[in-house]
Amino acid sequence: MSPFLQAVCELCLAALLISVALTILRLIAGPRAADRAIALDTITMEFVGIICILCMVWGSDLYFDTVWILTLVGFLGSAAIARYLERGRLFR
Amino acid sequence: MMPSLFDVMVAVPLVLGTFLTLVTAVGLLRFPDVYCRMHAAGKAGTLGVSLIIFAAVIFFAPTGASVPIRGLLAIAFQFLTTPAATHLLARAAYVAEYPCTERTALDELAPYLGGYVRERYGKE
Repeated sequence: MSPFLQAVCELCLAALLISVALTILRLIAGPRAADRAIALDTITMEFVGIICILCMVWGSDLYFDTVWILTLVGFLGSAAIARYLERGRLFR
Repeated sequence: MMPSLFDVMVAVPLVLGTFLTLVTAVGLLRFPDVYCRMHAAGKAGTLGVSLIIFAAVIFFAPTGASVPIRGLLAIAFQFLTTPAATHLLARAAYVAEYPCTERTALDELAPYLGGYVRERYGKE
């Protein structure tokens, strides 16, 4: 990895950490449950980006499976929260 | 230090995706009600994360086909699942009668889903 790409990766990691901090502010402040669900979904997406950049920095694809697994698990969590909000219960 | 063509091809989607993710976080913090926040998280967030994964795909492309296949699969899952999850959450929030902001000019969903809520749950 060249020094140019190293510098770009570290800059992007810093920006992603700032966006995680901003999203955690919404997670704390969110007036009701749907705001917090959206914030959790966004935090999952930001962690997927952080894992991608860390894979590039370390030069290893060992953790790359977490990217698509985390996408699917995040969808399941959001769908469960939405079902609970709409029906008031998860199962019949 | 002069970046090579490969460096530029990795760095451009990386910086664009990081910028879009930062825009998502700022929009999530600044928008007035839950539907506007879903607008920010569902569109800009999906494209930002997909661009970051695409940068990793280009970076690992010379080492073999393993990471590109998994990365493109992750991008496909992202484009399938995140808008669906946001739509589910928006519908649930509307049925649970989350308030819109005062600046809302027109609620086009009220004739359809408003009646659905009253008839199914007996709310007024």
